[in-house]
Amino acid sequence: MELQSRLEELRGRGLRVAAISYDSQEVLADFGRRRGVTFPLLADDDSAVITDFGILNTVAIEAQGPNGDHPDVVADVAKYVSVFGAGSNIVGTPFPGTFMLDGEGRVTARFFEEFYRERNTTANVMLRLGEGLSPIEAIEGETAHLKFTAYASDPAITVGTRFSVAVEIEPNPGMHLYAPGADELGYRVLGLSLSPLPHTRFEPVAYPASEIYHFEPLDERVPVYQAPFTLLQEAVVSGAPGVEDALAEIDAVTLSGTLDYQACDDRLCYDPVSVPLSFTFEVDLLDRQRANR
Amino acid sequence: MKRLLRHAALAGALCALPLAAPTEAAQEREPVEVAKLGPQIGERVPDFALTDQNGRVRTRDSILGPNGAILLFHRSADW
Repeated sequence: MELQSRLEELRGRGLRVAAISYDSQEVLADFGRRRGVTFPLLADDDSAVITDFGILNTVAIEAQGPNGDHPDVVADVAKYVSVFGAGSNIVGTPFPGTFMLDGEGRVTARFFEEFYRERNTTANVMLRLGEGLSPIEAIEGETAHLKFTAYASDPAITVGTRFSVAVEIEPNPGMHLYAPGADELGYRVLGLSLSPLPHTRFEPVAYPASEIYHFEPLDERVPVYQAPFTLLQEAVVSGAPGVEDALAEIDAVTLSGTLDYQACDDRLCYDPVSVPLSFTFEVDLLDRQRANR
Repeated sequence: MKRLLRHAALAGALCALPLAAPTEAAQEREPVEVAKLGPQIGERVPDFALTDQNGRVRTRDSILGPNGAILLFHRSADW
C-alpha cells in the first residue's frame, strides 16, 4: 500500500495519517492484517462522522429513491457512485477525498475528485503542496544551460491513479529560461512534450510563478525563470469501464518525452534544446480481495 | 451557482404567477459540487470518536501529529 510505505517519512515531517470509511471494525481489522496497515483505519459504520463532515454520498442515496431514473441522477451515478450502475452497498459511503490538516485540525488543503474512480496518490498530494516526498528513482542530467532532476511521484499506477512527473530545473548562473507569457514576445516557453500513454490523460503543465527579466538592449520585460524551480505534469489513468481489463494485460508502461526550452543570457540566446526524458511505471491491479466475514 | 441563479429567476417568475405548476420546480435538483462539500480550507474539521482496526478509540485531536495529519475518506476496504 502506497500510503503505508510513506508513513515513516511523513512521521518525520510531523504528520500522521488516518482513514475513515463506513466499514465495521472487523472488516478493517481484517483489511489491516492482510495489507499490513499500521495507521488508524477508523470504523464509521453508521456513517455518522461522514455525515457530520458533510461529505456523505447523496447521489448513492438518490439513486435508490424515486428519482433514480432521472437522467441527471443516472449521469451523476456514473460519476460519483459506480460506472457499473448504482448498488445499495454504496449508500453510506462518502465522496472519497483527502483533507490535509494542521496541528489543530484545520484544513490546509483538500483533494476531492469529480470522478470517484480517480484518486490522488499521497506522493502526488505532497508534490502538489510543494512538499515532495523523496523520489523512488530520479533521472539527473545537465546541459550547457541548466541542471535537472526528473522523477515520477509514484513507481506504480493503476485504474484512476492521479500522479505526476516532476522536473526540478536549476538554470546555470546568468542563464534564464522563458516562462508562460514570453511567447507573446516571440520567445520559446519551456515545456514538456510527452508521448501519449494508453488510457491516460495529461493535465496542463503546472508552472510556478516566474520573474520579470528586463532585457535592456530591446527594453523588453519578459517572464523568465532564473532561480531553481519545478515543473509539474499531472496525469490521470482513466477510470472508465474496460480500462481494468486493458491494464490487466500490461505489467509496465513507459512515459517518454522531452523537456524543451530555449536559454538565453544577457548577451546571447542559444539554440532551442530538447532533452529526452523517460519514466517507467509498474501497472498494479486494484485490490479486489474481500474481507472474510 | 449559475444553475442556482437560474432557479432564483424562475422562482421570481413563479411568484408573479402563484398558481403555475409548482411541482415541476420541486423536482429540480441541485448539481453535485464535491469541491464545495465538507470543511473548506481554514476551517477546523468536526471532532469525532471512532474505533480503529485494533479496537482503540481515536479522536480528531489524537490523530494529529505536531504538524497535522492526512485524513482520508474512502469508500470501503471491503469491495
